[in-house]
Amino acid sequence: MTEHPTGNGPHRPSLAGRKILVVEDDRLNARIITSILKPEGFVTAEAHSAEKALELYSTFQPDLVLLDIVLPGMDGIEACRRIKRDLGGSSIPVIFITALNKPEDVVAGLTAGGVDYVVKPFQAKETLARIRTHMSLRVLMEQHIALIDDLSKANAAKNHFLGIAAHDLRNPLTSIRGLSEFLMEDTTGPLNDDQRAMLQSMHSATQVMLDLLNELLDISIIESGETHLDCVPCNLVDIVADAVALSSIQASKKDMRFDFKRGMLTQALMLDTRKFRQVIDNLLSNAIKFSPRGSTITVEVSEDTGHQNVSVRDQGRGIPKGEMGKLFQSFGRTSVRPTGGEKSTGLGLAICRKIVEAHGGKITANNLEEGGADFRVTFKTSHHGI
Amino acid sequence: MEFSGKVLIVDDEAHIRKYLSLIVKRLGNPVIVEAQNGEEALMLYETHTPDIVLLDVNMPGMDGIQALEKLREAHPKAVVMMLTSLAARNVVERCVELGAVNFLRKDTPKEAIAKIIADTIAAHVGK
Repeated sequence: MTEHPTGNGPHRPSLAGRKILVVEDDRLNARIITSILKPEGFVTAEAHSAEKALELYSTFQPDLVLLDIVLPGMDGIEACRRIKRDLGGSSIPVIFITALNKPEDVVAGLTAGGVDYVVKPFQAKETLARIRTHMSLRVLMEQHIALIDDLSKANAAKNHFLGIAAHDLRNPLTSIRGLSEFLMEDTTGPLNDDQRAMLQSMHSATQVMLDLLNELLDISIIESGETHLDCVPCNLVDIVADAVALSSIQASKKDMRFDFKRGMLTQALMLDTRKFRQVIDNLLSNAIKFSPRGSTITVEVSEDTGHQNVSVRDQGRGIPKGEMGKLFQSFGRTSVRPTGGEKSTGLGLAICRKIVEAHGGKITANNLEEGGADFRVTFKTSHHGI
Repeated sequence: MEFSGKVLIVDDEAHIRKYLSLIVKRLGNPVIVEAQNGEEALMLYETHTPDIVLLDVNMPGMDGIQALEKLREAHPKAVVMMLTSLAARNVVERCVELGAVNFLRKDTPKEAIAKIIADTIAAHVGK
């Protein structure tokens, strides 16, 4: 790497004005270091003992500490520990200063939380290069933390907006759906076939929008951390059995059937039954959506050591290679299309994941060797069992 | 059920009032009165003394919760069923505390809405 005169390449963060605390009992050495750092735009403070350094630390608030290991009184290793542990400096880079013939000091220093070391007598270029590297990392880390903070605020604002928008759109859509039903029921007089077909289109389009809005509301409420779980002890088999019974009607429309394997469960789980039912309903309706007519969907509830599982296995095309990552993301629709022209918002599985994770459980998907996909929800019984 | 009592429907959105009154009409031969906010609801309650009030929670001006509180203060026997589009837990609890007898999410399928209203009337009106 070629030496850059200012030390700041075009893609590097500016380090000018960054503060370095130099802790070195040998005043001549301290002055040499300071004289290397000052022309680079660093602001420095010197301490000639560990005790003095700890005192100075809080008022000076350095971005980096250069710390001699051998000091009168408290040594550098202990000073480093205290900076990390007691002074809130856990993320402050500490670079140790050590004599060339003391490799064991280096190990002790790095173990105490140091990020690097420089050896005496100082090589100006090497010392500077190491300092710049760690200072750059520190600055980048600060920037990332600020960025993450901004992003999570933006995400909260988005969720808030989404909630309001979905909420205000839902009432008009409810009316359109309901009023079109009244018209189709000949409330205002008999309809001809064309009129009925048009109303049918309006009605189903409205229903699709309502479903989408409800899922948007779900995801915004869940993402804003307002998932309140009302957990009660319940039997996994019972909940899944109810869901399977209801979904069978939908399945029979595509000549599909459910094969429900009820395992023996030794204990109840603490679940928010309404929300968990939403998860199972979603997995079942996906299986119906993405499987060919006439196929069988296997639903299995099982228990193994420490876990209870629900597995939904279909005979569809499975999850395309490379699209597994999209599956549980909001709007993460894969390239696989429903087999009966059904609609999918791409939010269902994202909601499922949030709900399952809120329960401390896990949801996973795998392709089966014999074809089709296996969606599996797993709960720990040790945490949820009673 | 053949219901021929009086129903006061309170909602700021005209289309919702229209939709709900069509549902209520199917319960028999009811008289339907409509209000679009809390103040209007309180006034109309005095002049019409309805058997049941369907009261929206979110309205500009006096909202459903304030209207419910005032109404139940003046008429402790008023039968009020709340309408919502998203029932937040604290809102539900507050309304139950103030004496609302039931809660209805407006996006419920209309046959279910009809049944909930009919059941509420059967359980509370004229008791």
